[in-house]
Amino acid sequence: MIKTWELEPNFKYEIMKEPGGEHLTSCFQCSTCTLGCPLTEIIPGYNPRKIIQMSLLGMRKEVLSNPDLWVCLICQTCTARCPQDVRIADLLGAIRRIAEREEEAGRLKIDSVRPRFDKAFMHQLEKYGRLYDFGLAKEYYTGREGSFFKGMMAMSKDYKEFGMRLFKKGKMGPKALFPEKVKDREVMKKIFEQMGAGKK
Amino acid sequence: MSERKYAYYPGCPSGTTAMEQDMSMKVVFEKLGIELEEIEDWNCCGAAEVEDPEIVYALNARNLAIAEKQGLNIVTPCSICYYNLERSNIALKGDEELRARVRSIDASLAYNGGVEVKHVLDVLVNDIGVEELSSKVAKKVEAKVAPYYGCYIGRPPETAFDDPDAPGLMDRLIELTGGEVVPYNYTKTKCCGGPLMMTRQDIAFEMARKVLEEAKNAGADCIALACPLCGMMLDAKQPDIEEAFGIEIGMPVLYITQLLGLALGIDSGKLGLDKNIVDTKSIIGKVV
Repeated sequence: MIKTWELEPNFKYEIMKEPGGEHLTSCFQCSTCTLGCPLTEIIPGYNPRKIIQMSLLGMRKEVLSNPDLWVCLICQTCTARCPQDVRIADLLGAIRRIAEREEEAGRLKIDSVRPRFDKAFMHQLEKYGRLYDFGLAKEYYTGREGSFFKGMMAMSKDYKEFGMRLFKKGKMGPKALFPEKVKDREVMKKIFEQMGAGKK
Repeated sequence: MSERKYAYYPGCPSGTTAMEQDMSMKVVFEKLGIELEEIEDWNCCGAAEVEDPEIVYALNARNLAIAEKQGLNIVTPCSICYYNLERSNIALKGDEELRARVRSIDASLAYNGGVEVKHVLDVLVNDIGVEELSSKVAKKVEAKVAPYYGCYIGRPPETAFDDPDAPGLMDRLIELTGGEVVPYNYTKTKCCGGPLMMTRQDIAFEMARKVLEEAKNAGADCIALACPLCGMMLDAKQPDIEEAFGIEIGMPVLYITQLLGLALGIDSGKLGLDKNIVDTKSIIGKVV
Protein backbone atom coordinates (compact mmCIF):
# COMPACT_ATOMS: atom_id res chain seq x y z
CA MET A 1 0.00 0.00 0.00
CA ILE A 2 1.22 3.49 -0.80
CA LYS A 3 1.64 5.70 2.26
CA THR A 4 0.40 8.93 0.76
CA TRP A 5 1.76 10.99 3.62
CA GLU A 6 5.27 9.77 2.86
CA LEU A 7 5.21 10.73 -0.83
CA GLU A 8 7.64 13.34 -2.12
CA PRO A 9 5.79 14.99 -5.00
CA ASN A 10 8.82 17.04 -6.03
CA PHE A 11 10.79 13.90 -6.85
CA LYS A 12 9.60 14.03 -10.47
CA TYR A 13 11.06 17.52 -10.86
CA GLU A 14 14.31 16.38 -9.29
CA ILE A 15 14.54 13.65 -11.95
CA MET A 16 13.54 16.00 -14.77
CA LYS A 17 16.37 18.37 -13.89
CA GLU A 18 18.88 15.56 -14.36
CA PRO A 19 20.15 15.17 -17.98
CA GLY A 20 18.20 12.27 -19.50
CA GLY A 21 15.26 12.58 -17.12
CA GLU A 22 13.54 15.48 -18.87
CA HIS A 23 10.67 13.51 -20.43
CA LEU A 24 9.42 11.70 -17.33
CA THR A 25 5.98 13.31 -17.16
CA SER A 26 5.15 12.31 -20.75
CA CYS A 27 4.56 8.73 -19.61
CA PHE A 28 0.95 7.52 -19.84
CA GLN A 29 1.68 4.07 -18.41
CA CYS A 30 1.07 1.96 -21.52
CA SER A 31 3.74 -0.58 -20.44
CA THR A 32 5.33 -0.92 -23.89
CA CYS A 33 8.73 -0.46 -22.22
CA THR A 34 8.23 -3.43 -19.93
CA LEU A 35 6.71 -5.65 -22.61
CA GLY A 36 9.74 -5.22 -24.87
CA CYS A 37 12.40 -5.35 -22.17
CA PRO A 38 14.70 -8.38 -22.60
CA LEU A 39 15.34 -8.49 -18.85
CA THR A 40 11.74 -9.51 -18.13
CA GLU A 41 12.57 -12.93 -19.61
CA ILE A 42 15.29 -13.36 -17.00
CA ILE A 43 14.12 -11.43 -13.94
CA PRO A 44 10.49 -12.09 -13.06
CA GLY A 45 8.75 -8.89 -12.06
CA TYR A 46 11.27 -6.55 -13.70
CA ASN A 47 9.17 -3.56 -14.59
CA PRO A 48 10.50 -0.19 -15.80
CA ARG A 49 6.91 1.06 -16.22
CA LYS A 50 6.40 0.63 -12.50
CA ILE A 51 9.59 2.54 -11.66
CA ILE A 52 8.27 5.42 -13.77
CA GLN A 53 4.87 5.42 -12.06
CA MET A 54 6.49 5.27 -8.62
CA SER A 55 8.68 8.22 -9.62
CA LEU A 56 5.67 10.20 -10.81
CA LEU A 57 3.88 9.48 -7.53
CA GLY A 58 6.87 10.66 -5.52
CA MET A 59 7.97 7.35 -4.00
CA ARG A 60 11.51 8.67 -3.83
CA LYS A 61 12.92 6.33 -1.20
CA GLU A 62 11.46 3.20 -2.82
CA VAL A 63 12.65 4.17 -6.29
CA LEU A 64 16.19 5.12 -5.28
CA SER A 65 16.64 1.90 -3.31
CA ASN A 66 15.12 -0.33 -6.00
CA PRO A 67 17.76 -2.92 -7.01
CA ASP A 68 16.24 -3.16 -10.50
CA LEU A 69 17.80 0.22 -11.33
CA TRP A 70 21.20 -1.43 -11.54
CA VAL A 71 20.49 -4.23 -13.99
CA CYS A 72 19.25 -2.13 -16.92
CA LEU A 73 21.43 -2.98 -19.94
CA ILE A 74 20.82 0.40 -21.63
CA CYS A 75 19.90 -1.60 -24.74
CA GLN A 76 17.45 1.16 -25.73
CA THR A 77 14.61 -1.18 -26.72
CA CYS A 78 12.24 0.66 -24.39
CA THR A 79 13.34 4.03 -25.72
CA ALA A 80 12.89 2.90 -29.33
CA ARG A 81 9.36 1.62 -28.72
CA CYS A 82 7.98 4.22 -26.32
CA PRO A 83 5.09 6.07 -28.01
CA GLN A 84 5.56 9.05 -25.69
CA ASP A 85 9.31 9.57 -26.16
CA VAL A 86 9.95 9.15 -22.43
CA ARG A 87 13.50 7.95 -23.23
CA ILE A 88 13.36 5.31 -20.52
CA ALA A 89 16.96 4.10 -20.86
CA ASP A 90 18.25 7.64 -20.29
CA LEU A 91 15.66 8.22 -17.57
CA LEU A 92 16.84 5.21 -15.57
CA GLY A 93 20.38 6.53 -15.94
CA ALA A 94 19.25 9.87 -14.50
CA ILE A 95 17.66 8.11 -11.52
CA ARG A 96 20.83 6.03 -11.02
CA ARG A 97 22.90 9.19 -10.80
CA ILE A 98 20.58 10.69 -8.19
CA ALA A 99 20.89 7.46 -6.19
CA GLU A 100 24.69 7.56 -6.48
CA ARG A 101 24.79 11.11 -5.14
CA GLU A 102 22.51 10.09 -2.28
CA GLU A 103 24.92 7.30 -1.43
CA GLU A 104 27.91 9.65 -1.61
CA ALA A 105 26.07 11.93 0.83
CA GLY A 106 25.56 9.00 3.20
CA ARG A 107 21.77 8.95 2.86
CA LEU A 108 21.42 5.72 0.90
CA LYS A 109 23.05 2.32 0.66
CA ILE A 110 23.08 0.93 -2.88
CA ASP A 111 23.00 -2.84 -3.03
CA SER A 112 24.92 -3.16 -6.29
CA VAL A 113 28.56 -3.12 -7.34
CA ARG A 114 27.72 -1.26 -10.53
CA PRO A 115 28.35 2.29 -9.24
CA ARG A 116 31.76 1.15 -8.07
CA PHE A 117 32.52 -0.35 -11.47
CA ASP A 118 31.34 2.71 -13.39
CA LYS A 119 33.42 4.98 -11.18
CA ALA A 120 36.52 2.83 -11.58
CA PHE A 121 35.97 2.98 -15.35
CA MET A 122 35.68 6.75 -15.29
CA HIS A 123 38.84 7.05 -13.23
CA GLN A 124 40.77 5.32 -16.03
CA LEU A 125 39.43 7.85 -18.50
CA GLU A 126 40.24 10.73 -16.22
CA LYS A 127 43.80 9.46 -15.76
CA TYR A 128 44.63 8.15 -19.22
CA GLY A 129 41.94 9.29 -21.65
CA ARG A 130 41.42 5.70 -22.73
CA LEU A 131 40.21 2.53 -21.12
CA TYR A 132 42.96 0.67 -19.29
CA ASP A 133 41.55 -2.79 -18.55
CA PHE A 134 44.10 -3.77 -15.90
CA GLY A 135 43.80 -0.47 -14.07
CA LEU A 136 40.03 -0.80 -14.12
CA ALA A 137 40.09 -4.37 -12.84
CA LYS A 138 42.61 -3.51 -10.13
CA GLU A 139 40.60 -0.58 -8.81
CA TYR A 140 37.24 -2.34 -9.10
CA TYR A 141 38.24 -5.62 -7.45
CA THR A 142 40.30 -3.97 -4.73
CA GLY A 143 37.41 -1.71 -3.77
CA ARG A 144 34.81 -4.45 -4.03
CA GLU A 145 36.71 -6.97 -1.92
CA GLY A 146 38.05 -4.48 0.61
CA SER A 147 41.78 -5.02 0.11
CA PHE A 148 44.29 -5.30 -2.71
CA PHE A 149 45.11 -8.91 -1.84
CA LYS A 150 41.50 -10.09 -1.66
CA GLY A 151 40.78 -8.12 -4.81
CA MET A 152 43.54 -9.86 -6.73
CA MET A 153 42.34 -13.26 -5.48
CA ALA A 154 38.80 -12.53 -6.68
CA MET A 155 40.04 -11.18 -9.99
CA SER A 156 42.22 -14.18 -10.61
CA LYS A 157 39.29 -16.50 -9.84
CA ASP A 158 37.06 -14.67 -12.34
CA TYR A 159 39.64 -14.00 -15.00
CA LYS A 160 42.46 -16.54 -14.96
CA GLU A 161 41.11 -18.72 -17.75
CA PHE A 162 39.77 -15.78 -19.70
CA GLY A 163 43.12 -14.03 -19.46
CA MET A 164 45.01 -17.12 -20.62
CA ARG A 165 42.65 -17.44 -23.54
CA LEU A 166 43.39 -13.87 -24.63
CA PHE A 167 47.11 -14.32 -23.98
CA LYS A 168 47.29 -17.38 -26.25
CA LYS A 169 45.75 -15.34 -29.06
CA GLY A 170 48.24 -12.53 -28.63
CA LYS A 171 45.64 -10.18 -27.21
CA MET A 172 47.49 -9.52 -23.96
CA GLY A 173 50.43 -7.63 -25.41
CA PRO A 174 51.84 -4.29 -24.29
CA LYS A 175 48.60 -2.52 -25.22
CA ALA A 176 46.74 -4.61 -22.64
CA LEU A 177 49.42 -4.58 -19.95
CA PHE A 178 50.24 -0.88 -19.96
CA PRO A 179 47.86 2.05 -20.20
CA GLU A 180 47.52 3.75 -23.55
CA LYS A 181 47.52 7.40 -22.76
CA VAL A 182 46.26 10.32 -24.76
CA LYS A 183 48.81 13.11 -24.98
CA ASP A 184 46.51 15.77 -23.61
CA ARG A 185 45.45 14.26 -20.29
CA GLU A 186 44.88 17.59 -18.55
CA VAL A 187 41.74 18.12 -20.62
CA MET A 188 40.34 14.74 -19.51
CA LYS A 189 40.67 15.82 -15.91
CA LYS A 190 39.03 19.15 -16.65
CA ILE A 191 36.07 17.46 -18.37
CA PHE A 192 35.33 15.30 -15.33
CA GLU A 193 35.79 18.23 -12.99
CA GLN A 194 33.63 20.68 -14.86
CA MET A 195 30.94 18.71 -16.69
CA GLY A 196 28.00 16.76 -15.38
CA ALA A 197 24.86 17.47 -13.43
CA GLY A 198 25.11 20.19 -10.83
CA LYS A 199 28.33 21.60 -12.26
CA LYS A 200 26.81 24.28 -14.48
CA MET B 1 28.64 8.64 -52.81
CA SER B 2 32.27 9.19 -53.60
CA GLU B 3 33.80 9.73 -50.14
CA ARG B 4 37.14 8.00 -50.37
CA LYS B 5 38.72 9.00 -47.10
CA TYR B 6 37.55 8.86 -43.50
CA ALA B 7 38.75 9.78 -40.04
CA TYR B 8 39.10 6.42 -38.30
CA TYR B 9 37.98 6.06 -34.69
CA PRO B 10 39.24 2.61 -33.60
CA GLY B 11 37.91 2.57 -30.01
CA CYS B 12 39.66 1.24 -26.91
CA PRO B 13 39.45 -2.55 -27.54
CA SER B 14 41.11 -2.12 -30.97
CA GLY B 15 44.54 -2.87 -29.53
CA THR B 16 43.47 -5.71 -27.25
CA THR B 17 40.32 -7.84 -27.22
CA ALA B 18 39.07 -6.67 -30.62
CA MET B 19 42.40 -6.46 -32.45
CA GLU B 20 41.01 -8.67 -35.25
CA GLN B 21 38.26 -6.14 -35.85
CA ASP B 22 40.82 -3.36 -36.20
CA MET B 23 43.05 -5.48 -38.45
CA SER B 24 40.21 -6.55 -40.75
CA MET B 25 38.76 -3.05 -40.93
CA LYS B 26 42.10 -1.65 -42.10
CA VAL B 27 42.85 -4.30 -44.74
CA VAL B 28 39.30 -4.28 -46.10
CA PHE B 29 39.34 -0.51 -46.55
CA GLU B 30 42.78 -0.67 -48.11
CA LYS B 31 41.53 -3.29 -50.56
CA LEU B 32 38.58 -1.05 -51.40
CA GLY B 33 40.91 1.88 -52.04
CA ILE B 34 39.51 3.95 -49.20
CA GLU B 35 41.90 5.72 -46.93
CA LEU B 36 41.50 5.64 -43.15
CA GLU B 37 43.29 8.40 -41.28
CA GLU B 38 43.22 7.68 -37.57
CA ILE B 39 41.81 10.48 -35.42
CA GLU B 40 45.01 11.79 -33.92
CA ASP B 41 45.27 11.18 -30.18
CA TRP B 42 41.58 10.17 -29.93
CA ASN B 43 40.11 9.56 -26.45
CA CYS B 44 37.58 7.04 -25.14
CA CYS B 45 33.94 7.74 -26.10
CA GLY B 46 32.71 7.04 -22.57
CA ALA B 47 31.41 3.54 -23.42
CA ALA B 48 28.37 2.40 -21.41
CA GLU B 49 29.91 3.37 -18.08
CA VAL B 50 29.97 7.15 -18.33
CA GLU B 51 26.27 7.64 -17.78
CA ASP B 52 26.12 11.40 -17.54
CA PRO B 53 25.28 12.60 -21.07
CA GLU B 54 27.05 15.92 -20.55
CA ILE B 55 30.37 14.22 -19.82
CA VAL B 56 29.86 12.02 -22.89
CA TYR B 57 29.27 15.14 -25.02
CA ALA B 58 32.44 16.82 -23.73
CA LEU B 59 34.58 13.70 -24.19
CA ASN B 60 33.41 13.33 -27.77
CA ALA B 61 33.61 17.04 -28.56
CA ARG B 62 37.36 16.49 -28.48
CA ASN B 63 37.21 13.55 -30.92
CA LEU B 64 34.85 15.44 -33.22
CA ALA B 65 36.99 18.58 -33.09
CA ILE B 66 40.11 16.64 -34.09
CA ALA B 67 38.29 14.99 -37.01
CA GLU B 68 36.99 18.41 -38.01
CA LYS B 69 40.56 19.74 -38.12
CA GLN B 70 41.50 16.72 -40.24
CA GLY B 71 38.61 17.73 -42.53
CA LEU B 72 37.10 14.26 -42.54
CA ASN B 73 33.93 12.41 -41.59
CA ILE B 74 34.30 9.71 -38.96
CA VAL B 75 33.93 5.96 -39.36
CA THR B 76 34.05 3.56 -36.41
CA PRO B 77 33.64 -0.22 -36.25
CA CYS B 78 32.20 -0.16 -32.71
CA SER B 79 28.47 0.23 -32.11
CA ILE B 80 28.88 1.85 -28.68
CA CYS B 81 31.53 4.30 -29.89
CA TYR B 82 29.23 5.10 -32.81
CA TYR B 83 26.29 5.76 -30.49
CA ASN B 84 28.30 8.03 -28.19
CA LEU B 85 30.01 9.93 -31.02
CA GLU B 86 26.79 10.42 -32.95
CA ARG B 87 24.59 11.42 -30.03
CA SER B 88 27.28 13.91 -28.99
CA ASN B 89 27.42 15.16 -32.55
CA ILE B 90 23.65 15.69 -32.62
CA ALA B 91 23.60 17.37 -29.20
CA LEU B 92 26.53 19.68 -29.99
CA LYS B 93 25.29 20.59 -33.48
CA GLY B 94 21.87 21.50 -32.16
CA ASP B 95 22.83 23.42 -29.02
CA GLU B 96 25.02 26.48 -29.29
CA GLU B 97 25.03 26.96 -25.54
CA LEU B 98 26.34 23.43 -24.99
CA ARG B 99 29.06 24.00 -27.59
CA ALA B 100 30.09 27.20 -25.81
CA ARG B 101 30.11 25.50 -22.41
CA VAL B 102 32.25 22.65 -23.68
CA ARG B 103 34.58 25.08 -25.45
CA SER B 104 35.03 27.05 -22.23
CA ILE B 105 36.54 23.96 -20.55
CA ASP B 106 39.39 23.77 -23.03
CA ALA B 107 40.20 25.12 -26.49
CA SER B 108 40.74 21.57 -27.74
CA LEU B 109 36.99 20.94 -27.28
CA ALA B 110 35.99 23.67 -29.73
CA TYR B 111 33.80 21.86 -32.24
CA ASN B 112 31.89 23.69 -34.97
CA GLY B 113 29.56 20.91 -36.09
CA GLY B 114 31.21 20.11 -39.39
CA VAL B 115 31.61 16.34 -39.10
CA GLU B 116 29.42 13.32 -39.91
CA VAL B 117 29.77 10.16 -37.84
CA LYS B 118 29.16 6.75 -39.39
CA HIS B 119 29.26 3.14 -38.33
CA VAL B 120 31.26 0.84 -40.59
CA LEU B 121 28.10 -1.06 -41.68
CA ASP B 122 26.54 2.19 -42.82
CA VAL B 123 29.68 3.18 -44.74
CA LEU B 124 30.02 -0.22 -46.41
CA VAL B 125 26.40 -0.58 -47.54
CA ASN B 126 25.27 3.02 -47.99
CA ASP B 127 28.41 5.00 -48.87
CA ILE B 128 30.41 2.44 -50.81
CA GLY B 129 27.41 0.37 -51.84
CA VAL B 130 26.58 -3.23 -52.57
CA GLU B 131 27.27 -2.75 -56.27
CA GLU B 132 30.86 -1.63 -55.83
CA LEU B 133 31.50 -4.23 -53.15
CA SER B 134 30.06 -7.00 -55.33
CA SER B 135 32.31 -5.96 -58.21
CA LYS B 136 35.33 -6.54 -55.97
CA VAL B 137 34.28 -9.90 -54.57
CA ALA B 138 36.88 -12.47 -55.56
CA LYS B 139 35.76 -15.51 -53.56
CA LYS B 140 32.62 -17.02 -52.16
CA VAL B 141 32.24 -17.75 -48.47
CA GLU B 142 29.67 -20.53 -48.61
CA ALA B 143 28.69 -20.37 -44.97
CA LYS B 144 25.38 -20.17 -43.20
CA VAL B 145 25.60 -16.97 -41.21
CA ALA B 146 23.54 -15.56 -38.34
CA PRO B 147 23.69 -11.76 -38.54
CA TYR B 148 23.80 -10.36 -35.01
CA TYR B 149 23.01 -6.64 -34.85
CA GLY B 150 22.71 -5.99 -31.12
CA CYS B 151 21.69 -2.63 -29.74
CA TYR B 152 22.93 0.58 -31.30
CA ILE B 153 22.47 -0.14 -35.00
CA GLY B 154 18.67 0.14 -34.98
CA ARG B 155 18.18 2.00 -31.68
CA PRO B 156 17.67 4.59 -30.31
CA PRO B 157 15.78 6.30 -33.16
CA GLU B 158 17.81 9.52 -33.50
CA THR B 159 21.13 7.74 -34.04
CA ALA B 160 19.82 4.54 -35.67
CA PHE B 161 20.76 3.78 -39.28
CA ASP B 162 18.86 0.54 -39.77
CA ASP B 163 15.40 -0.82 -38.96
CA PRO B 164 14.95 -1.39 -35.19
CA ASP B 165 13.09 -4.69 -35.56
CA ALA B 166 14.13 -6.00 -38.96
CA PRO B 167 17.60 -4.62 -39.73
CA GLY B 168 19.15 -5.64 -43.04
CA LEU B 169 22.53 -3.98 -43.65
CA MET B 170 24.57 -6.95 -42.47
CA ASP B 171 22.27 -9.35 -44.36
CA ARG B 172 23.14 -7.49 -47.60
CA LEU B 173 26.85 -7.93 -46.92
CA ILE B 174 26.53 -11.62 -46.06
CA GLU B 175 24.58 -12.21 -49.29
CA LEU B 176 27.23 -10.56 -51.42
CA THR B 177 29.96 -12.69 -49.84
CA GLY B 178 28.08 -15.74 -51.11
CA GLY B 179 26.82 -16.70 -47.67
CA GLU B 180 23.36 -17.75 -46.64
CA VAL B 181 21.57 -15.69 -43.99
CA VAL B 182 19.85 -18.06 -41.57
CA PRO B 183 16.51 -17.12 -39.97
CA TYR B 184 17.57 -15.33 -36.81
CA ASN B 185 14.76 -13.05 -35.87
CA TYR B 186 14.33 -13.51 -32.17
CA THR B 187 17.73 -12.50 -30.79
CA LYS B 188 19.47 -10.63 -33.61
CA THR B 189 18.53 -7.25 -32.17
CA LYS B 190 18.57 -8.31 -28.51
CA CYS B 191 21.35 -7.17 -26.19
CA CYS B 192 24.39 -9.46 -25.76
CA GLY B 193 24.49 -8.74 -22.01
CA GLY B 194 27.87 -7.02 -22.28
CA PRO B 195 27.15 -3.98 -20.10
CA LEU B 196 26.49 -6.25 -17.11
CA MET B 197 29.45 -8.57 -17.61
CA MET B 198 31.46 -7.16 -14.71
CA THR B 199 28.61 -6.44 -12.30
CA ARG B 200 25.95 -9.10 -12.95
CA GLN B 201 27.68 -11.88 -14.84
CA ASP B 202 24.71 -14.22 -14.26
CA ILE B 203 22.37 -11.98 -16.25
CA ALA B 204 25.01 -11.18 -18.87
CA PHE B 205 25.66 -14.88 -19.52
CA GLU B 206 21.94 -15.63 -19.76
CA MET B 207 21.54 -12.91 -22.40
CA ALA B 208 24.55 -14.10 -24.41
CA ARG B 209 23.48 -17.75 -24.17
CA LYS B 210 20.17 -16.94 -25.87
CA VAL B 211 21.94 -15.16 -28.72
CA LEU B 212 24.37 -18.04 -29.22
CA GLU B 213 21.78 -20.80 -28.92
CA GLU B 214 19.37 -19.26 -31.40
CA ALA B 215 22.19 -19.06 -33.94
CA LYS B 216 23.07 -22.68 -33.31
CA ASN B 217 19.45 -23.83 -33.51
CA ALA B 218 19.05 -21.94 -36.78
CA GLY B 219 21.87 -24.06 -38.23
CA ALA B 220 24.38 -21.22 -38.52
CA ASP B 221 28.04 -22.01 -39.22
CA CYS B 222 29.00 -18.72 -37.63
CA ILE B 223 27.72 -15.45 -36.22
CA ALA B 224 28.67 -12.16 -37.88
CA LEU B 225 28.65 -8.98 -35.84
CA ALA B 226 29.94 -5.42 -35.74
CA CYS B 227 30.74 -4.45 -32.14
CA PRO B 228 33.69 -5.37 -29.91
CA LEU B 229 31.59 -5.70 -26.76
CA CYS B 230 29.29 -8.17 -28.54
CA GLY B 231 32.46 -9.89 -29.76
CA MET B 232 33.80 -10.13 -26.24
CA MET B 233 30.56 -11.64 -24.91
CA LEU B 234 29.78 -14.04 -27.74
CA ASP B 235 33.31 -15.08 -28.73
CA ALA B 236 35.80 -14.51 -25.90
CA LYS B 237 33.32 -15.45 -23.17
CA GLN B 238 31.78 -18.35 -25.08
CA PRO B 239 33.84 -21.04 -23.31
CA ASP B 240 32.82 -19.54 -19.93
CA ILE B 241 29.16 -19.52 -20.98
CA GLU B 242 29.41 -23.15 -22.10
CA GLU B 243 30.91 -24.05 -18.75
CA ALA B 244 28.41 -22.03 -16.69
CA PHE B 245 25.40 -23.71 -18.29
CA GLY B 246 27.00 -27.10 -19.00
CA ILE B 247 26.29 -26.77 -22.71
CA GLU B 248 28.25 -27.04 -25.93
CA ILE B 249 27.98 -24.27 -28.47
CA GLY B 250 31.21 -24.10 -30.48
CA MET B 251 29.98 -21.20 -32.59
CA PRO B 252 32.62 -19.21 -34.48
CA VAL B 253 32.02 -15.47 -34.23
CA LEU B 254 33.41 -13.21 -36.95
CA TYR B 255 33.46 -9.47 -37.31
CA ILE B 256 31.61 -8.57 -40.49
CA THR B 257 34.80 -7.02 -41.90
CA GLN B 258 36.55 -10.39 -41.46
CA LEU B 259 33.80 -12.14 -43.43
CA LEU B 260 33.78 -9.47 -46.13
CA GLY B 261 37.58 -9.59 -46.26
CA LEU B 262 37.51 -13.31 -47.04
CA ALA B 263 35.16 -12.62 -49.95
CA LEU B 264 37.46 -9.86 -51.19
CA GLY B 265 40.20 -12.48 -51.37
CA ILE B 266 42.24 -11.19 -48.43
CA ASP B 267 44.49 -13.63 -46.61
CA SER B 268 42.88 -14.95 -43.41
CA GLY B 269 45.97 -14.07 -41.34
CA LYS B 270 45.77 -10.44 -42.39
CA LEU B 271 42.12 -10.46 -41.32
CA GLY B 272 43.16 -11.67 -37.88
CA LEU B 273 41.08 -14.84 -38.18
CA ASP B 274 43.60 -16.61 -35.94
CA LYS B 275 42.78 -14.08 -33.19
CA ASN B 276 39.14 -15.04 -32.67
CA ILE B 277 38.75 -17.18 -29.57
CA VAL B 278 36.43 -19.81 -31.05
CA ASP B 279 38.30 -21.43 -33.92
CA THR B 280 37.38 -19.97 -37.32
CA LYS B 281 39.06 -22.61 -39.53
CA SER B 282 35.69 -24.14 -40.39
CA ILE B 283 34.67 -20.83 -41.95
CA ILE B 284 37.98 -20.30 -43.75
CA GLY B 285 37.38 -23.79 -45.14
CA LYS B 286 34.16 -22.60 -46.77
CA VAL B 287 35.95 -20.04 -48.93
CA VAL B 288 35.81 -21.16 -52.54
